[in-house]
Amino acid sequence: MENKQTSILILDDEPIVGKRLKPSLEKKGYEVEAFTSSKEALERIEDRPFDIVVTDLKMEGVDGMQFLTLVKEKYPATEVIVITGFATMGIARESFNKGVFDFLAKPFKLGEIVDIIGRAEAKIKKSRKI
Amino acid sequence: MKLFDRIYKFFRGQQKEIVPFKILFAEFKKSLELNNQILDLIADANDKLSGDYIFGEQYIQHTCRRLADLVRQLIVTINHLTEQKYSALYTSFHKIEEEIEALLRGRALGQVKDYIMPYAMISRALTDSVGGKNAHLAEIGTLLDHRIPDGFAITTEGFSLFLEENNLRDRILSIRQQWHQSELAVDEASRRIRGAIMEAEVPHKLRLEILAAAEVLSRRHKDITPCFAVRSSALGEDEISSFAGQYLSRLNIPLDEIPQAYKEVLASLYSPEAMEYRLMMDFRPHEIMMAVACQMMVPARASGVLYTYDPVRPEDETMIVNSAWGLGEPIVAGEVPTDHFVIDRRPPYEVRQLEIVHKSETMVLHGCGGTGIDGVQEEQRLQSSLTKEQLRELAEIGMQLEKYFKRPQDIEFAIDQQDRIIILQSRQLRLQHTRAPRACDLSDLSEKYPVLIRGKGIAAMEGIATGPAWVFSEGKNLNDFPMGGVLVACHATPQLARVIHKAAGFITDVGSTTGHLATVAREFRVPALFKTENGTEVIADGEEITLDTECLTVYKGIVQELQYYSIQEEPIEEMYEYRLLRRVLKKIEPLNLTDPTADNFTPEGCKTYHDLTRFVHEKAVETIIDLNFYHAHHRDSQAGKLLWDFPLDLILIDVGGGIEGGHAQGIRPQQITSVPMQALLKGMSYPGIWDMAPAGVDFSSFMSSLTRTSSVRATSPEDVGRNLAVVSAEYTNINFRLGYHFTVIDAFVSDNILDNHIYFRFSGGVTETIRRSRRTRLLAKILTYYDFLCEVYGDIVVARLKRTNRDRILKRLFLLGLLVGFTRQLDVEMVNEETIDIFFNEIRGIMEQKDGK
Repeated sequence: MENKQTSILILDDEPIVGKRLKPSLEKKGYEVEAFTSSKEALERIEDRPFDIVVTDLKMEGVDGMQFLTLVKEKYPATEVIVITGFATMGIARESFNKGVFDFLAKPFKLGEIVDIIGRAEAKIKKSRKI
Repeated sequence: MKLFDRIYKFFRGQQKEIVPFKILFAEFKKSLELNNQILDLIADANDKLSGDYIFGEQYIQHTCRRLADLVRQLIVTINHLTEQKYSALYTSFHKIEEEIEALLRGRALGQVKDYIMPYAMISRALTDSVGGKNAHLAEIGTLLDHRIPDGFAITTEGFSLFLEENNLRDRILSIRQQWHQSELAVDEASRRIRGAIMEAEVPHKLRLEILAAAEVLSRRHKDITPCFAVRSSALGEDEISSFAGQYLSRLNIPLDEIPQAYKEVLASLYSPEAMEYRLMMDFRPHEIMMAVACQMMVPARASGVLYTYDPVRPEDETMIVNSAWGLGEPIVAGEVPTDHFVIDRRPPYEVRQLEIVHKSETMVLHGCGGTGIDGVQEEQRLQSSLTKEQLRELAEIGMQLEKYFKRPQDIEFAIDQQDRIIILQSRQLRLQHTRAPRACDLSDLSEKYPVLIRGKGIAAMEGIATGPAWVFSEGKNLNDFPMGGVLVACHATPQLARVIHKAAGFITDVGSTTGHLATVAREFRVPALFKTENGTEVIADGEEITLDTECLTVYKGIVQELQYYSIQEEPIEEMYEYRLLRRVLKKIEPLNLTDPTADNFTPEGCKTYHDLTRFVHEKAVETIIDLNFYHAHHRDSQAGKLLWDFPLDLILIDVGGGIEGGHAQGIRPQQITSVPMQALLKGMSYPGIWDMAPAGVDFSSFMSSLTRTSSVRATSPEDVGRNLAVVSAEYTNINFRLGYHFTVIDAFVSDNILDNHIYFRFSGGVTETIRRSRRTRLLAKILTYYDFLCEVYGDIVVARLKRTNRDRILKRLFLLGLLVGFTRQLDVEMVNEETIDIFFNEIRGIMEQKDGK
């Protein structure tokens, strides 16, 4: 259990996000699946849990907030990181209330999200030990 | 009724009040605020191209619309200030906005309706119609006056016509889709599309125009047999993406075969390599466009490639030339050994290193019927393919092209039968990104692992690669290349680039760092070692190997110690979003209006948002000065010209408590009671600050040329000066245009720390890039040292300071005065890197001295 690969699900309707993040994170040793449709991501979530979920909040025709709410309900231990292009304090606060681990405004640097994922991973490992 | 109207209007006109200055000034300030927001937003968007960011189309759309909104507000503001004097700005604005919107919607990119454009009519502005290769080459010929092959472009509009008339668009799209959905293999999809193109007819109209244009060329060159080269000039091919080598060139063909060759070149747009590449780069259908170059054939005696930097070791400050006898095609394809020269980037361009190889084969023209491979005459085989004089001349041309295109260049050239240099192509050279720490330090590796190759070859892209070797030999299919394999081949041919997304590394027996495969390897950061002579012999197919290009070594087995070094950041791929942002920025960022006295300094002359912003700023300052100094005198403001020892044309406008005494005869410095203005002037008049120039410069003429904004027509009050300071007791807003520099300072000083602020913006300066960059670095160094929050975008320096007590603010205003006083000279004087520290220390010395008092 200790050495299990940390799994990450990425959901963003802008394909570039998954395309850029997936290979970098895989190179760093994570197990990564990327989705552009929340329907498919939801189906995948039904199949199996992920340690970390990275999701956009405002996507065309989809509500990221709803997605993260469902994820948190089903897997309370999953850490959710929210990225969004239209950051407003209101949305940020709401997502924090839902137990979101951290919040990142687009555009962001690769290094920024890698840092956040690293912190989320550390938290997960710590709670597992306890 | 009419009469009544007229009387009404007459009275209304009479009643027109002078708008209070405070209101005008508020509008003026608003325009400055918008101006700053726009420039910051542009700089910020440009920063996103650095490759560190992840951004989507949403960001680009959001930024463009936000910019449009700000620019529109800016135009409204200047029209408020000037009673709608510049309403023509709206027309220019809408035109730019529409162009940007079209780009955002992914509309086709061509701008002209012509099918044919002779080189004499082509400039970079037509890149989206004629392709980068044509556009650059045409400018090298017409604007820089170098020899290029005479020729013309067949535009993307011609390509569109070809697709339309043959109903090819949908057909290609559907085959492409089948391939994307894995219903078709890439080779099959490619074969079908190319087949469809080859079966199609060149539309009659297009055919006639092509032949007529070629006819004109042959008549112009009666002295030589009219043979032609038909080359690709696909969109995007020359800019960043380096897949040019994948497209076809048809060489040495007679006039009547041009239409057929044209089709062949178009078909090469759909070679499997090009299709794979575009899929990887996420090309959209509207981006897949092929313009074509049709040129008079140059019967080359020798050919080669010049890089204005060593792409692997740019810090060496050298240029690289590879050349051989005959035509250039086998040279760029990495198929023949080449002479290799390393030349100093500085005059007199000494050759630092040369390596003359044995050249046994050469590509030559066969009459007017294609090309063939001939043997090289015995005495030429070991002779240098370029003379010393030609190398020097090439170096000179290289530096000139680099300066002109503002980027390191990758230049293809030919030496004609009269021994003249003909430029065939010039495009941006991609340099390798900064390297990870050197791995060579692990010195005991060769004891632990068997060495297959050591100290042989040249690194085309540095790095470490591990994986199974896949030796490309007769009968093997590139499609079978395994994921993560190291490709070992005889020649560094462009076709190998097809597996770039699978390959961990490349090793070849023959090849040069100036070939296409090298370019692609750098683009994808795949380590590549070329010219190992016998790699294909000593490396066995299927064995695990480790390639370390930095040490020119190949080990048998996986060297764990080195693997550590190979883990690097993911390469920044050239995604659609990057291209889109680059494209829209072309309509936003370039500044064409640099000289307010030039003929194009008009609303119609504005071609970008930056132009509009620049125009409005100039006119806003002008308007405030005109209203207060030359024409209406507001009762609530006082205006006068500063009487000073230094010939600075400065108009002061007092909005409350900034100046005492009368203004009619001008304002003496002693009359200024504005606290921030006093501090600034103290700095500006610091002894010696205006003449830090070394002896030899005629001080007075130097001064007048730089500070008199328009000395030629100084007699007309309209033209005297556009330097403006609006002051009150605690506030100063300054807009300076000294020479070509632009400075804005906005400062408030009071006893309340929370209200105090300084804003400083410096930009412009017509000088070579490198000096400009020294100047910005110097300013940033000084300003940061003195606590400013400093940002540098290109040659703009923006510095802010807030919430600082009165004394510290005043000291920093004094500093800004010093800087304004002498930055104008920096361009001339910043001749080397050391000057940064020299000036920095000089300024610090003055500041500390003043502290001591």
